[in-house]
Amino acid sequence: MLFPTVQFAIFFPIVLTLSWLLMPKQRFWKPYILFASYVFYAAADIRFCLLLGGITVANQLAAKAIHASEDERRRRWITAAAVTFDLGVLGVFKYYGFFTQNVGDLLDSFGLGMPLPLLSIALPVGVSFFTFQAISYVVDVKRREFEPASLIDVGIYLSFFPHLVAGPIVRAREFIPQLASVRDPQHVAVGAGLGLIGLGLVKKVMIADYLGREIVDPAFGVPQAFGGPDLIFAAYAYAAQIYCDFSGYTDIAIGLALLMGFIFPQNFRSPYRALGFRDFWRRWHMTLSRFLRDFLYIPLGGNRKGKVRTYVNLFLTMLLGGLWHGASWTFVLWGGFHGAGLSAEHALGRRVERVPRWLRWLITFNLVVFAWILFRSPDLDLFWTYVTGMFSGGGLELVTIPAVLALLAVIGLQLVPESDTHGFEARLERINPIVLAVALAALILVVGATVPSQGVPPFIYFAF
Amino acid sequence: MPDPQLPPSHHTDDSLMERFDEEKLRRFSARDAVICTVLIAFLLLIFSGGSVRQAGEEMDPGTYRDIVMAVGEPAGWVADQLPLSDIGHTLTGWLSPDTELVGATFEEGAVAGAGGGAVGGPSPVTPEWFEAGALGEPQPKKPLETLLVTGDSLSTPLDVELGQSLAPDGVDVVRDPHLATGISRDDLVDWAQLSATQVADDEPDAVVIFIGANEGLPMPGPGGEDVSCCGPEWAAVWANRARQLIVNYAQKGAAKVYWLTVPTARDPDRAPITDAVNAAVYAAAAPMRSDVRVLDMGAIFTPEDRFRNAIDVDGRETIVREPDGIHLNDAGSALAAEEVEAALARDFDW
Repeated sequence: MLFPTVQFAIFFPIVLTLSWLLMPKQRFWKPYILFASYVFYAAADIRFCLLLGGITVANQLAAKAIHASEDERRRRWITAAAVTFDLGVLGVFKYYGFFTQNVGDLLDSFGLGMPLPLLSIALPVGVSFFTFQAISYVVDVKRREFEPASLIDVGIYLSFFPHLVAGPIVRAREFIPQLASVRDPQHVAVGAGLGLIGLGLVKKVMIADYLGREIVDPAFGVPQAFGGPDLIFAAYAYAAQIYCDFSGYTDIAIGLALLMGFIFPQNFRSPYRALGFRDFWRRWHMTLSRFLRDFLYIPLGGNRKGKVRTYVNLFLTMLLGGLWHGASWTFVLWGGFHGAGLSAEHALGRRVERVPRWLRWLITFNLVVFAWILFRSPDLDLFWTYVTGMFSGGGLELVTIPAVLALLAVIGLQLVPESDTHGFEARLERINPIVLAVALAALILVVGATVPSQGVPPFIYFAF
Repeated sequence: MPDPQLPPSHHTDDSLMERFDEEKLRRFSARDAVICTVLIAFLLLIFSGGSVRQAGEEMDPGTYRDIVMAVGEPAGWVADQLPLSDIGHTLTGWLSPDTELVGATFEEGAVAGAGGGAVGGPSPVTPEWFEAGALGEPQPKKPLETLLVTGDSLSTPLDVELGQSLAPDGVDVVRDPHLATGISRDDLVDWAQLSATQVADDEPDAVVIFIGANEGLPMPGPGGEDVSCCGPEWAAVWANRARQLIVNYAQKGAAKVYWLTVPTARDPDRAPITDAVNAAVYAAAAPMRSDVRVLDMGAIFTPEDRFRNAIDVDGRETIVREPDGIHLNDAGSALAAEEVEAALARDFDW
């Protein structure tokens, strides 16, 4: 079920109303919200609910077993088994085809046949997100940073519909404590919630989908049909599209959760104003960045084992972070590109700070946009065609005034000093909520008018 | 260019969970949240209730559709009684990205065609029923300048494959897939009008159409009553509609049409629909073989009408279908594109 759809517009008011009615009685509210979240997920495919349920039960059993044991070795083994199980699920559903294809290619080059059965496996929506959340839960229990919660709390944590399919990747210690007590019905961030939902809809439907439909999809579909200026423009357009698509989803998710009385972690902070790769990853998909840092980079040794190991760890972390996005070499290389950028930045150390800020911004932004070409390309052949095409001549078929304005708005607004945008939610919170509701209804009608007859395309991160 | 005096970044990658903790950010109550949400839903229903009904009609049968229709039908009725929907449309209609369609609808085309045809016997066979080249009468090849690739979701990524293959040779490949649409599903888009609009906009030399993933819906028969899938009556209505498309696309012989049949799906329940659609394609094309090439995808992907996930491609088993068991994946679309290109090469130079 997509957020900007009629189905969700029916689902949410009912769920929200019943949620607040049942909230005082937690023994009713918890099963109810768990059921509602599974209904939400079943709209994609009811079979996926079994997978989500299985992951929940398996990780809860592991967390309980870890907590019950004082033997560090045993705790480590159980954690390893749970993480292996989670990654195994992810591997089968997400990477099996990629793995068999590449093994087959390799063996073919030696004249050997395909040793593995070819299976066409449907990717369960959100599997990358809820498996990572399950891993974070078990590992936090193992690290004694969090005590195991009840099965129903873990079930709600993993399935809570606002974050279920595309994050943010919420840590158990951030969410489960919010389930411990009744959410305060007298203090709800209604203004901020409605404002974020409206902002997210505009970003997704009016900007991201428009840029995708008019600029990005044609250019990346058949780059041979366009000249260099168009392809360069489309690369920047994709940077704006993916930001608006993903941060739009996150805004809506955070807004919905706020209306239900819950707070999610921040996931974006003007990523295109970053002054370096490290800064970029503190602003882009922040909940994935910290997951990779806490559960991959630091366990690998982080920066504690010398310079070379630090670079290797950074590179490896980002390589796997790239692969997390999808089973394709382009994602791996995208991760590798960012890993190399982070390593280079680390190697340069404070010398980077001698470079003027505007130049650091310019270099970072353009390198990030270049890396997005890898991310968007379905394969390396098309990436190469696209990049070489950028240096060819040609007209400006794709460059239109609305597209340029959309691009300038998305990137330009991120360069506004953050102190000026801080307090936006507080200002919304001062407005009468009825006025806000009418304004959001009007906005939805306007946004809805821009939806083509074929409907709203899925969020890009639904595919991950 | 950003301000060179950009303030330094002091972010840490913490979760900022406390950002809504301030009292001024939580001034309202749960009651306000519910009132606002219900008010928004109410306003949307009275302004746009018809779109709820339409969304329900476009959904696949099942519980979720029943729920949407349970809301959509009364909401649509209320919206129909009020002028607000028209006002909303007047104010926001200009924002729609959809192309304004031209030409006759299926319904208008059916009425116009009702009086045609021979009376008292089968229609006479004319030379247009035959592909001259197949009868040993070589036809001069024409230059291929513009190729339109269209259809429902089956037509993509076939469109991308053809574009990537032909664009470097200077062919303008117009990709125009219309997802979730169907020839028997004219609530979303009327393909008779759409095809007329595509031809008016692009004037293609050749049209590749691959459609059939969303078929099987009842259509009005010759007497106006709905005909259910998938008997001869339904196939006849579908074939007449398909013929209307072929007439539009062929532009009185100025363009060639390449119609791909639908390979068997994994779900056996879809087999009657696929069989009826494919039979109707052949029937529709029969009197216009001089303009239409029917490309048999079943022979490539599902010989003997048996679903296969993977087939032998260049001596190696390769998955050619998407996990849904309906669509072709990239590898399958590349194979289909090869078949299309081979057919194009018999009629065109590029």
